[in-house]
Amino acid sequence: MTAVALPGVRGRQLWAWVRIAFCAVMLALVLAPLLWTVFLSFRTNIDLLRQAPLDLHGPYTLDNYAELLRNQTLFRWFFNSLVVSTATVAGVLTLSSLAGYAFGRLEFPGRNWLYLIVLAGLAIPDQSVILTRHQIFSDLHWHNTYRALILPGLSAPLGVFLMTEAFRAIPRAQDDAARLDRANSLATFWHVLLPQTVPALASLGIYTFLLSWNDYWWPLISATRPAMYTLTEGMAAAQSNYVEVLGKGVLMAEAVVAGLPVLIVYILFQKHIVSAVTGMVKL
Amino acid sequence: MIGRLNRQGWPNLLFALPFLLVYGWLLVYPLLAGMGLSLNRANLFGGARFIGFENYIRLFRDATFLQALGNSLLFVVMCVPVLVVLALGLALALNRATRFAAFMRSAVFASSVLSVTVMTIIWRQILAIDGGLLSHGAHAIGLPALPFLSDPNLALPSLAAVTVWWSLGLPMMLFLSALQQVPRSVFEAAALDRATPWTVFRQITLPAITPALVLVTAYECALQFQVFGQPQLLTQGGPNGASRPLVLYIYETGFNQWDIGYAAAASQMLFALILVAAFVPQLAQRLWRRA
Amino acid sequence: MRRRVFLTGLAALSGCARPDPRPTITVQRIFGDCRAHVPKGGAPTQNINGECEIITGLLDRFEAENPDIRLNINTVAWPGYDQLSAQIAADDAPDLVTMHMAVIPDYQIHGLLTPLDAGLKAQGVTPDQFTPVARRAVTMNGEVYGLPFDAWTQLFHINMNLFAKAGLVRGGEPVLPRSAAELLDQARRFRAATSKPYLVQSAVNERAAYARNLYTYLLSAHEVIFPDPHHIRLNTPRAREVVGLFKRIHDERLTTRDLDYVAATTAFINGEGGVYIVGTWMIGNFDNEAAQPGRPLYRGYRVKPYPALFGDPVLPAFVDGHAWVMPKKARTPAQERAAFRLLKFLSVHEGDWTRSGHLTSMAEVVGDPVYQAQPHRRDLMAITSYGQGLPTDVQRQFAIQAMLSEELAAAITGIKPVEKALIDAEHRINDMLTNLS
Repeated sequence: MTAVALPGVRGRQLWAWVRIAFCAVMLALVLAPLLWTVFLSFRTNIDLLRQAPLDLHGPYTLDNYAELLRNQTLFRWFFNSLVVSTATVAGVLTLSSLAGYAFGRLEFPGRNWLYLIVLAGLAIPDQSVILTRHQIFSDLHWHNTYRALILPGLSAPLGVFLMTEAFRAIPRAQDDAARLDRANSLATFWHVLLPQTVPALASLGIYTFLLSWNDYWWPLISATRPAMYTLTEGMAAAQSNYVEVLGKGVLMAEAVVAGLPVLIVYILFQKHIVSAVTGMVKL
Repeated sequence: MIGRLNRQGWPNLLFALPFLLVYGWLLVYPLLAGMGLSLNRANLFGGARFIGFENYIRLFRDATFLQALGNSLLFVVMCVPVLVVLALGLALALNRATRFAAFMRSAVFASSVLSVTVMTIIWRQILAIDGGLLSHGAHAIGLPALPFLSDPNLALPSLAAVTVWWSLGLPMMLFLSALQQVPRSVFEAAALDRATPWTVFRQITLPAITPALVLVTAYECALQFQVFGQPQLLTQGGPNGASRPLVLYIYETGFNQWDIGYAAAASQMLFALILVAAFVPQLAQRLWRRA
Repeated sequence: MRRRVFLTGLAALSGCARPDPRPTITVQRIFGDCRAHVPKGGAPTQNINGECEIITGLLDRFEAENPDIRLNINTVAWPGYDQLSAQIAADDAPDLVTMHMAVIPDYQIHGLLTPLDAGLKAQGVTPDQFTPVARRAVTMNGEVYGLPFDAWTQLFHINMNLFAKAGLVRGGEPVLPRSAAELLDQARRFRAATSKPYLVQSAVNERAAYARNLYTYLLSAHEVIFPDPHHIRLNTPRAREVVGLFKRIHDERLTTRDLDYVAATTAFINGEGGVYIVGTWMIGNFDNEAAQPGRPLYRGYRVKPYPALFGDPVLPAFVDGHAWVMPKKARTPAQERAAFRLLKFLSVHEGDWTRSGHLTSMAEVVGDPVYQAQPHRRDLMAITSYGQGLPTDVQRQFAIQAMLSEELAAAITGIKPVEKALIDAEHRINDMLTNLS
């Protein structure tokens, strides 16, 4: 069953070949760098240092991974990233759904103006406010804390926009029914409307998680103590630091270990993630 | 009194208040404060002195800044079209229910869940002239290895290629989802009419996904103007500044040279640029429709 | 509300469970992280004279000998100043930090560093124990702002096995050129004999080496690089001559090309070139290579100061040094005492540190037979007396070094003409220096 139907057998065959060739090339391009990294991570440091590492016959080694286990910092960074990303997601979902409910469902003075101001924020890149944001947290002496890593992520207006649209899409009749039951607006929000926005929440949550997990510049200047590094930031330090000490093999092993959990989570929850991501366009 | 406030709906504002506070505090205020800061000569450790628009005048005389500005534009031009075309091609090719298509979709999306820092570690081992995968490949077929990261003509395109590899997943998914909203019967009808693939694409597919196309283009433009990690870690902006984009320039000016008022002025230029970039595709679409 | 509870929970999870009554001091250092092969309380399992291995061992030893003090060690990537600036701006500086002496003025001028005289004196460390060069570099307005830890300079690291092949060894000593023309001549002979480039250079992502080469040969000609603290002068006949030489070397492929620092180091270790221009810090690593049978450097490693190539009136050597500084911040008297005790310890063990290859910054050690008995030190010792640094009243020396290196790299690899690169560098650097606030 083809999505794009074709005239005649020859045209169809030609199209099929083009498609297969394109897919094959893209697959090779996508996978080769990943496989190469895994391959390098099983070579000895000396091998990587001394000779062309293209010899497929080995020797192979697990030393790089063993060395990683002795060095606990990577796991600390992993934990930090997990804390920061999870808390950011929780915060964004809470704030965005509350605000989305207010903007999409309720009446209050100045609503439209405020919403416009929030929408305008969509065009503000984080990078252009980072210097003054750094000063704000400096004045509060909040750098090198989890809250400094989490709070900036909560100011992004995208979530409010998505949730407002999601709340608007729910038929009006439902909160009218709730009102007849004398439910207050909080109860309506919690029991009636919020459950219906779960797909939107899932999209927003996953998007926020990835954004937060991959954030680089802000942790770089806010979390300046290695114990507070996020994984993304730590891997930057690792690639600048290995120059001096670690071998290339260990760095490759670090890349694999740092990348793998995300990949595994992605593969496990693939269906949900895909439907969540694609849900974003439908909103 | 309270009754009247209630009737006007003031309590409803409470739902939006938590977000509005954070938003005002960490996005709006820093933006305004940054604009203020850009009018000062100031370093990282205080000592601000109001100098009006002098920083902006200085920016436009600063060859390094102008070069960074040009690099950012060039980077977006190199990155976004390729990204959009490849993502669309993949979406068209993989919009089917086979196992291979599912595997391929996962594989493409998987690379974009890697951190930028992991991604640069991986790609250095591909691009490096000593022992990189590509240099091995070149030697194997008797060609000289190319200095992808240290040739002024190759550095920025290499970063763009790496970025395309890394960011292909999301646009592809968005296109796929747009494609899936086109009713299958439309394609079936076209098949009965023996329409060529190109006609089908022009007449049915393209119109159906135009909103997604505009969204993706605008989003990617805004995103790629903010490129930072790739050049910072792979080329440090070199050689000769050939791969130093605006954000790296801001970072170096602020944290390396401590010239924070000047860096703030450069930040405002970035803001203006992204504002334009985010709206141009929408504007283009409107004009297109009218024409 | 839920979020609040969640955050509090997290804070509890991450915070220390029981308070430690001992004073804790935070030590921030560069030199890399090698915990994986330096067991606590044991000898390193590899590369015993590496910078990282030595400093890791020293700090372990201090902790073991001073159980009443807790050290919190931050290892940051070289050079660590972006990070330190962010920390100081955030009022969250470490207690002791490694700092290049050339960088001290930046922080000192803004009043961000603690003067150390009194505290060091109480521990029995006085400035007259430092070499004159080191003492000058850490002293500003008559006060000492850093404890000198070494003096370092860039050197010619030589693969003697390849040099012998090229006929460039006489009486066991490497033959180095005495003029630019002779250098080119020897390099061509070297390439003909070994089919390898004479020079190994780190050229990609290199923020320092080219600038240091130029400083070296400008200082040896008594050139005034900084006529005043806010201006640099680079476009001089001498500078054009020096850069021209390196460009010629590049053009004739007498040097490696397109290698970054790691790749260049690897290339030298693998015997891919004759002379590697890099700092004192690699001596320990290369000696380690030279001791291993079968490796290209086996029994074939020597290191020498830059040769005079341009009829230099004084011997060429641009010298800087690592120091320990104490950023200003609120400390308890116990923390302050602990920090000074660590400084004292580091000062006493400066000799252990300089096993890495760095030159000493302690006057007494210069003449010490044990120190001089270490390999190569006799060849290098004189640098501590004739080496020169840049004026201490010039700020942003690392930013200057990075800008200058970028421009010089562009000139040497032919991206822009030499003169244009020097003018551009002057322009960029002066723009920064005249806009300091």
